[in-house]
Amino acid sequence: MAEAYDVVIVGGGHNGLVTATYLARARRRVLVLERRAAVGGPMTTEEIAPGFRGPTGASLCGLLRPEIVEDLNLRSRGVTFIQPDPELVVLGDERALRIWKDVRKTRESIGSFSTKDAEAYPRFIEFLRQFAAAIDPILAMTPPSLPSPSLREQMSLFRRALRLRRLGKTAMQHMLRLPPMSVRDFLNEWFETELLKANFAVDALIGTYEGPWSPGTAFGLVPHFRPDVHGTASAFVRGGMGALANALGLAARDAGVTIRTEAEVTRIVSAEGRVTGVELAGGKTIGARMVASNADPKRTFLHLVEPEELGPEFLNHVRNFEMNGVVAKVNFALDGAPRLPLVGDGVPPHFRVCPSLEYIERAYDDAKYGKASAHPFLDVTLPTVVDPDLAPPGKHVMSVLVQYAPYALRGGRWDTEGEKLAERVTGILEDYMPGLERLILRRQVLTPADLQERFGLTEGHIYHGEMTLDQSLVLRPVPGWSRYRTPIEGLYLCGSGSHPGGGITGAPGYNAAREILKDWARFSA
Amino acid sequence: MARAYDAIVIGGGHNGLTTAAYLAQAGKKVLVLERRHVLGGAAVTEEVYPGFKFTVCSYVCSLLRPQIIRDLDLPSHGFEVIPQESSFMPLPDGRYLFYRGDEEDTFQAVAKFSRRDAEAMPRFGRLMARMAKFIAPTLTMTPPDIGSLNPSELRKLFALNKQVQTLTEAELYTFARLMTMSAADYLDEWFETDVVKASLCSSGIIGTLLGPRSPGTAYVLMHHYMGEIDGAYRSWGYVRGGMGMVSEAIARAARGFGAEIRVNAEVRHILARNGRAIGVELSTGEKLYAKVIASGADPKRTFLKMIDKSDLPADFVRGIENFKIEGSSGKVNLALKEAPSFSCLPGNGVHLQGAISLGPSVDYIEKAYDDAKYGDYSHRPYVDMCVPSTLDPTLAPPGKHIMSCFIQYAPYTLRKGTWEERREEFGETVLDTIEEYIPNLRKIVLHRQVLSPWDLEQMIGLTGGNIFHGELTPDQLLFLRPTPGWAQYRMPLRGLYLCGSGAHPGGGVMGAPGLNAAREILKDWALLRV
Repeated sequence: MAEAYDVVIVGGGHNGLVTATYLARARRRVLVLERRAAVGGPMTTEEIAPGFRGPTGASLCGLLRPEIVEDLNLRSRGVTFIQPDPELVVLGDERALRIWKDVRKTRESIGSFSTKDAEAYPRFIEFLRQFAAAIDPILAMTPPSLPSPSLREQMSLFRRALRLRRLGKTAMQHMLRLPPMSVRDFLNEWFETELLKANFAVDALIGTYEGPWSPGTAFGLVPHFRPDVHGTASAFVRGGMGALANALGLAARDAGVTIRTEAEVTRIVSAEGRVTGVELAGGKTIGARMVASNADPKRTFLHLVEPEELGPEFLNHVRNFEMNGVVAKVNFALDGAPRLPLVGDGVPPHFRVCPSLEYIERAYDDAKYGKASAHPFLDVTLPTVVDPDLAPPGKHVMSVLVQYAPYALRGGRWDTEGEKLAERVTGILEDYMPGLERLILRRQVLTPADLQERFGLTEGHIYHGEMTLDQSLVLRPVPGWSRYRTPIEGLYLCGSGSHPGGGITGAPGYNAAREILKDWARFSA
Repeated sequence: MARAYDAIVIGGGHNGLTTAAYLAQAGKKVLVLERRHVLGGAAVTEEVYPGFKFTVCSYVCSLLRPQIIRDLDLPSHGFEVIPQESSFMPLPDGRYLFYRGDEEDTFQAVAKFSRRDAEAMPRFGRLMARMAKFIAPTLTMTPPDIGSLNPSELRKLFALNKQVQTLTEAELYTFARLMTMSAADYLDEWFETDVVKASLCSSGIIGTLLGPRSPGTAYVLMHHYMGEIDGAYRSWGYVRGGMGMVSEAIARAARGFGAEIRVNAEVRHILARNGRAIGVELSTGEKLYAKVIASGADPKRTFLKMIDKSDLPADFVRGIENFKIEGSSGKVNLALKEAPSFSCLPGNGVHLQGAISLGPSVDYIEKAYDDAKYGDYSHRPYVDMCVPSTLDPTLAPPGKHIMSCFIQYAPYTLRKGTWEERREEFGETVLDTIEEYIPNLRKIVLHRQVLSPWDLEQMIGLTGGNIFHGELTPDQLLFLRPTPGWAQYRMPLRGLYLCGSGAHPGGGVMGAPGLNAAREILKDWALLRV
């Protein structure tokens, strides 16, 4: 093979770029191969109508791990996070609930719905923050080897347990109670206002094929309460999410990474259980000592790797990995600012339509039987409110995350269901924003099938696989294979299909880089 | 104050009786107080119509701890299990799934639907049994107080860890996945035919307010493989004379050890002084005092009805208030003038002797759950039936039968109307559902008894009509049952213990909470001062 690198990264999503950068900084020769024209995967800003640029993937970012932001100097590379205040407005039938950055201000807003809830709110935030702080180190940790944890792992687990214990025995037991609960049961213990409960349920449920009644969904709340962020942890990026992707690409290049776009990997080549390189569309092969795949587990193991290298049991687990995507996106190019009378003057940059827990559960019921929700919940962002440069003057981009839109439809196909869903979404929004339809210059629908097609996300799953408890920690993505290594020596996973899972955290990429470097000495011998 | 007893047990259900028997066996002077005229709580046999003995609530037995059967020598007190030897599930299209216990027969029956599933079945059964066997010892263990730095608690954790080490790596992962997955998802990994999955997944939802697609139900499914009669896993059976005979046999054992048992004696109040439980007050006003009070009533009834809130710590009360105890099932008991005849398999036969279930597809059961989520009983419920009189003729007059129908879902809280108003309409829905499989059912019904969760609450005192004294979800199990910090049977009032299904390991006719509570009480005995 003519060309060879120390490590080839399959896919230039944010995790792939993070892995690449850390490896290059450790003086490895790294090549990132990206199928699309730009790096970033679903973290991208694309033209949705001439002059209108909007997110065709993720709209918001707030969970990127601070050590990564720091290490890669993202701020000095021009990344500006914009956190609106109120950061979120939840639309009710007659009133709107505002979530401010300031807990006391939010408490006042809640107080107009229920004094009991207003009193509970600061305690609720505190409880979840403490929990999030206690488990935060787990996110940046490689899951332990269960059958034979090393002494070091045992010590580190013990330290983490101790950290939880320091909160007090009872507080610790109350926290251990949370993960298996349904988000509905958990919220019912704290609040009585449906709108407030529904809002938090949305935090816990975005991207997952479960409803608020489903046990295990309470845990989904926790990542939103990371100690260094407030509340829902949502931030816009100036210039759109693509700007963040560009900055990550820049950081990688500065560290010495070679990035090649429009270079689709069609095969990960291995011989005798050992990875040797990759093959590109067109047949060219590139040699590598190690390959890290940023693609999701199903794409990696069922499409890029020779199945006989993996063994039937492993393959069986991969096939059973749950990743039925449930998110669709509807983007609008608007001729002017829409009116939202419920909120008063000016449209907020981030708002939600999720009237009650039951509304969400019924939306989920449809999905359970393979239908897109008749009445989906909506997470709406207008990036142009905080960053007008994304559209021509006075005009706006509105991006709507729609759930539930299950990839696997029973009867019906996404190429026809997509427009119907977009029609329903427009109808729901028109009710809140009279006159909206007249403002629409262009509507773009991205169904789970489109997300699969566009970004290579299997079944359109935005998290590279369900983030349920049975696919977490030592079980993600395959029981026994949660430590970024795979049955093929030299092949690693560095994407959201690995611990700690999806969202723009960079954590899987960060952890994978650490494990790759740990193995390096052994392989280079 | 006259203290005539060492211990008073509130409620003569099978757990209360178990605690009483063990305490009496240890030489304590014990009094059991039962509100109703019969003993047994929800493990009860009653002649509701002359000649027909209904096992009114719980209807099959398998989980009763062998240790209790041995310790209390229950067989000598009339306890006998008649194994239920088959499983039968009729389908709406005229087909059916029917198999007896043995592997060969099961293979043939399942192979009619899918050969692949037939091959998977025994492997699946063995894995479940293996997992259940791993769990079984924890049932009769007092849960460790997680986070406690007390050496004895740490020792318990260490012992648990040692037990975990007996699992292979693969088994460990299986266990973790069982704890967190839905029955439907887990079965999807094993089987391809919906019929087979439906027939198995129903065990994952019995008594819970969850559907087959709800995470955590895979664990409940496995729990049902815990049944052991004579050490054989996955064997359920009838108790000769009805389920009341479980309670009756334990009561006989207790009396044999000198325990006193009073029926028609309703405890209204638990008397406390200076943070110490000292006795009980009956609805007649009579006051009885004892060194130890053990409550077999559920947590909500015990702490929110029988004790003044001011006697309990506020966070404990909040924990009990948050305890999930919404009932989800009802019961319809039928007296039949002849054996029922299924259209898909007419006439009397072996298929009537075992478990019969109506729940032909996973979606059917999930949709039944959807109705319950929004506060209505299932329009087409899952029905778990049996005709115990086919094997135990003492239950009905010659040639006649009793049929016990467990109905899910029937939520305690209805959005429209009350259970009193809608009970019979619910009964009609159940009969309509069954008539789709037994067309002449209404013609052969002599009597029917319809019990909603509300009726169970009225009759037996189960809060919310929950048959398990509280939902069996992981957030309410082990060291979290009934509420964090209070899972070791001792309650915030000194001298007060919880010995019913609201404590670890939870509901089912197991006797384990009663056994464990008795052990803890005896451990404390010397330290408890009056």
